[in-house]
Amino acid sequence: MVDAFAYVPAVVLLPFFSFLVALGAGKYLPKGGAFGGIAATAGSFLLSLWIATAVAGGRAYNETLYTWAAGDQFELTFGALIDPLSALMLVIVTLVALLVHVFSLGYMNDEGETGLPRYYAGLGLFTASMLGFVVADNLLMAFMFFELVGLCSYLLIGFHFREPGPPSAAKKAFLVTRFGDYFFLVGVVAVFATFGTAAFAGEGSFPALAEAALAGSGDVWTPGGLELQTWLTVVGLLVLGGVVGKSAQFPLHTWLPDAMEGPTPVSALIHAATMVAAGVYLVARMYGFYALTPTTLAVIAFIGGFTALFAATMGVVKDELKQVLAYSTISQYGYMMLALGAGGYVAAVFHLTTHAFFKALLFLGAGSVIIAMHHNEDMWDMGGLKSRMPVTYYTFLAGSLALAGIFPFAGFWSKDEILYEALVHGLNEPLLLGGYVMGLLAVPVTAFYTFRMVFLTFHGEPRTDLAADPEPVRWNVKGPLTVLGSLAVVTGFINMVPVQKVLGLEGIDYLHRWLDNEWGGIEGLSSHHYADLGPYSSGYIAGGEVPTVLVGAAVSLGLALAGLGLAWRLYNVTSPTEHTAKLGGIKDVLYNNYYLDELQVWIAYRTEDIAGGADTFDQGIIDGVVNGVSSVSLLGGSRVRRIQTGLVTQYAAMLTLGLIALLVLLGVNGGWFL
Amino acid sequence: MSSVAPAWSALSPALLLGLTGLALLLVDTIRPNERSNTSMAVVSALGALASLSVTVWFVIAGTGHADTGGAITLLEGAVKVDTMSLFFTAIFASVTALVVVAAHDYFHDHQRPAAFYSLTLFAATGMALLAVANSLAIVFVALEMVSLPSYALVAFLKKNRGSVEAGLKYFLIGALSSAVFLFGISLVYAATGSLIFGEVAGQIESLDTLSGVAGIGIVMIVGGVAFKTASVPFHFWAPEAYEGAPAPVSAFLSSASKAAGFVVAFRVFTEAFPLGASLAADINWVLAFGVLAAVTMTLGNFAAAVQEEVKRMLAYSSIGHAGYALIGLAALSAGSAGNEAVMGAAMAHLLVYGFMNTGAFLFVAMAERWGIGRTFEDYAGLARRAPVACTAMAVFMFSLAGLPPFAGFFSKYFLFMGAIENGFLWLAGLGAVNSVVSLYYYSRVVRAMFLDDPATPSALDAIDVRPTALYAAVVFAAVATVLLLPGFGPVIEAAEAAAAALF
Amino acid sequence: MSDWIAIGALAAVGLLIPIGMMTVSALLRPSVPETGKSTTYESGETPTGGTRIRFNIQYYMVALLFVVFDIETVLLFPWAVIYRPAIEAGVPMTDLLWPMLTFVGILAIGLGWAWRTGAVEWARSSRAASRKTERDINT
Repeated sequence: MVDAFAYVPAVVLLPFFSFLVALGAGKYLPKGGAFGGIAATAGSFLLSLWIATAVAGGRAYNETLYTWAAGDQFELTFGALIDPLSALMLVIVTLVALLVHVFSLGYMNDEGETGLPRYYAGLGLFTASMLGFVVADNLLMAFMFFELVGLCSYLLIGFHFREPGPPSAAKKAFLVTRFGDYFFLVGVVAVFATFGTAAFAGEGSFPALAEAALAGSGDVWTPGGLELQTWLTVVGLLVLGGVVGKSAQFPLHTWLPDAMEGPTPVSALIHAATMVAAGVYLVARMYGFYALTPTTLAVIAFIGGFTALFAATMGVVKDELKQVLAYSTISQYGYMMLALGAGGYVAAVFHLTTHAFFKALLFLGAGSVIIAMHHNEDMWDMGGLKSRMPVTYYTFLAGSLALAGIFPFAGFWSKDEILYEALVHGLNEPLLLGGYVMGLLAVPVTAFYTFRMVFLTFHGEPRTDLAADPEPVRWNVKGPLTVLGSLAVVTGFINMVPVQKVLGLEGIDYLHRWLDNEWGGIEGLSSHHYADLGPYSSGYIAGGEVPTVLVGAAVSLGLALAGLGLAWRLYNVTSPTEHTAKLGGIKDVLYNNYYLDELQVWIAYRTEDIAGGADTFDQGIIDGVVNGVSSVSLLGGSRVRRIQTGLVTQYAAMLTLGLIALLVLLGVNGGWFL
Repeated sequence: MSSVAPAWSALSPALLLGLTGLALLLVDTIRPNERSNTSMAVVSALGALASLSVTVWFVIAGTGHADTGGAITLLEGAVKVDTMSLFFTAIFASVTALVVVAAHDYFHDHQRPAAFYSLTLFAATGMALLAVANSLAIVFVALEMVSLPSYALVAFLKKNRGSVEAGLKYFLIGALSSAVFLFGISLVYAATGSLIFGEVAGQIESLDTLSGVAGIGIVMIVGGVAFKTASVPFHFWAPEAYEGAPAPVSAFLSSASKAAGFVVAFRVFTEAFPLGASLAADINWVLAFGVLAAVTMTLGNFAAAVQEEVKRMLAYSSIGHAGYALIGLAALSAGSAGNEAVMGAAMAHLLVYGFMNTGAFLFVAMAERWGIGRTFEDYAGLARRAPVACTAMAVFMFSLAGLPPFAGFFSKYFLFMGAIENGFLWLAGLGAVNSVVSLYYYSRVVRAMFLDDPATPSALDAIDVRPTALYAAVVFAAVATVLLLPGFGPVIEAAEAAAAALF
Repeated sequence: MSDWIAIGALAAVGLLIPIGMMTVSALLRPSVPETGKSTTYESGETPTGGTRIRFNIQYYMVALLFVVFDIETVLLFPWAVIYRPAIEAGVPMTDLLWPMLTFVGILAIGLGWAWRTGAVEWARSSRAASRKTERDINT
């Protein structure tokens, strides 16, 4: 039998070829190169499934494929690492990418957009970069593909570059994530300097080396005699900078809402399901390293919890469909970070999976609505679309229920597990408990804004003529929606931990077993191993594990239903009105996103001032050698000019004086006059 | 070959130059009203080239080289032909050839151009004689032989006030400097009792109480050399002479005449006043040259930076380059093995400089021929009308500034490296700083020619002639500047061999 | 060291004496200014015209040519003096004759050139001519 792992490079290269084809020959192809992209992602998807099957068959893959720079101290390589985590991620990314490609036929081609080859080339390159990131076997390779992903994001957000908004949003996204990536890059260098390798897995990988060093059996370099634990925390936080930027965590989340300027399928693929997931995936990928440093974990958890609540509150007042979804995305990634910080590795991956499906679904549903509404995104202009586009409605509803965390949709299971992990581990950790509380508070808010969105869009009476007579959508929109809608309902069942715990049914927590290398995997990259490394101990309330599970699930579900109910009361009426006035002064704060954009602009300007200072320094002192000498030379030159009077008698006088000066100098030096 | 040919034939490069000059005078005497600019130029160019080829042949044949019987001395030791003298004669002859070719177009409408050619050749003869001088008396006579035609050449445009004024100033300062120089020679003679270099050197060590007298004499000789090389504080004539003189003359003076000053300095200060003996007699002339080099390159470059006229900028830049070349005398230390490298690098720099600086001045000559004006602004947009010449000028400028691809970089690099290795980091550092300054004003020319727009669209309409000979000279100088790049290995080897003969 | 002190003392005395004499006479003499005392002294003649008049360049040309012959004489004279004793001492005649002939020949070429180019022709400048005619008219 042919080895599935031999096709790992093909998974990455297929979309890359579609990028090349779309770029080079896209304008000669039907549909602007869409079919090439669909074929490539379909191929990648099938290969990913095959690879996942191979992993399920008990095997794993960790090979260096290409060494592109070899030095005395370390080698810089490209390689592939296939373990349960990356196999799962491959399937998610290729599936969503495939569906988005199909959806794009309806959203872009049918709408008569121009520049389609550029669009499909961007999608192809993005998919290739993301897959390359997923299979990366070392941190440097991951960083490189991470940057490529960011570049594609920039290109696709700015797809409509002739309008004023998209280019500026693209620039913002690029710059803000780049800001985080600077720390990431420094972190990569630090990892190389510390361990001499950046490999994720294996005996000589850096998490393994760090573990050994902390156990006292290894020797790693730390700068300036810093304590090892402190230094590892610093390195972890540096890499975390990239994660915070890419996964849109506070305070670098501001780019993501603006990124909604891009085409909606792009928002679905990049800014919801995959690229934003890259940050979380990276933490999961090197979780063996983060688990060693409790401080980093606490920071991750706190940032995550805070972001979850914080973004959710902003989503409450948004008027545009995609804006609500954007803030919900930020909020959901906050949950994943909370899970990772709380030691819930499996919970985070679980939520990553379910979120990828239901958020892609919601975005594509929103795209469908946007097609129907002729690119009007204001929810107050919609209403009553339920009966006019039922497929969209029901799938969107499924996604919304998942997002709100309503039993038994996918989001319920994953969010519940996150909160459960945070609770049981947080009982002994105040910071973590704070994260848990914030995550819990975000639940009703999430349910509220989700259903505010659903009700405003689909329920009630049409508030505009456009909403009364929406443009119909075709199979290429409905197809992906249906697939994702089904997944949003069922994905949760792959990991029914509460059911297992309450009913005592062993073996239905498939994802746990999958990530615990039960079928196959790489030593040292299992959730079990991470749990051993992690600093947390479990505590329970209400006298035991089962009651804790039940209480936690009941509380979160109750809160979600409460939020849903409030939305129902306020907005599921024939002609809903804005209730934001009731929020009083908070409204403005929320509308303006807590003035964080302003703060960032202010910081940017202060940075510019500092840069200006540095510039002055550079101009004044560094360039002083050049410019300064030049101005001195101009000044001195004019002095010289004054010496050159044009009077030959003065020349003779100065010549003689110069000679005498020379005579005196040498005479005194040589002692001739004594 | 020296065993076959009579010994005086070793002087044939100088003799060829002098005879050509005499022949020109003779022809002009016989037919004074025949305006034969072209034939005059051709004859003088042929004479200069013949001298050059003989020199090159001598170098290849090894005349005066240690391998073929050592230096040839003539006239009771007053004249000495060796590798260094041939090296410098080659510089003089090349520059002379370039200048006379270029002058053909510059003086196309002059009434009596014959005097120009013969004066140039006489000055070149004097320079060739300077290169072989082995006695202070010959040095002085040859120096005057260079100076007197130079004065006349600077004032050659009799109707031009600037030219005449420059000539007069040059003459007055020159007279003063010659007096200083001669006084210095007399003091050295008083202290040592000889004019022949070797004998002077023998006496320097046993000066005893007369070391002060000899010291003052040596400083005065330094002054004379400084005049010839246009070094501070004897430089005052240079900016005005270069600016006022016809541009080919400026080229000749700033390249060949300067090199002549250096050949004297190199020979006198290594053979007549050897470093070890001088230091033993408390005559630290290295210090004097150090001070001169530092002051000269700084003043030259800084003054060049503020000039508005290209020709005057070139004049100051040539003062700056004199400062660089002075490093060859300033960065010496007694008994150091690096002395040859430093002095050889200075000689190589003078050779490279001979081409690039001559070329730059000839470009100015071309601009004067076109009549487009003298300032940087007047050169704006010139590259559109005269791309070839402007490219050549850019080559000169970058090479003068010492940018890497050009020969000027290598000579400067070897010079500074030699200085550093000999322990004169401060001189090399100062030279590097000055090179940075020089980049500023050299690039101004290039920017004006290639990037700026002319002040008025009709500003460049004056370019209506194509002075072929000037073009040829400029392009040849540019080609030489570039070709010295691959040929730099042999050049620096020849220069170091020449320097090695001195130590 | 002591030598230079003597020279310094000599210089000091040399300066002191004239300054002292002028100071003493300035103190002693009566001051009686009159026109005759303050006029320019010009060899007993009454001064006419300004002091800054231009001489014709031709004077200098002649002077330069004179220098040529001057140098020629300076070299020719000792050469002529040693010529006969050297012949008698057995020096070949060519060794004696050729250098001087070359020297004189070079000078002759220069002189001939100057002559042909009009250096010794007295200028007929218009200004000089007009002044002469004016003078003729006046006398």
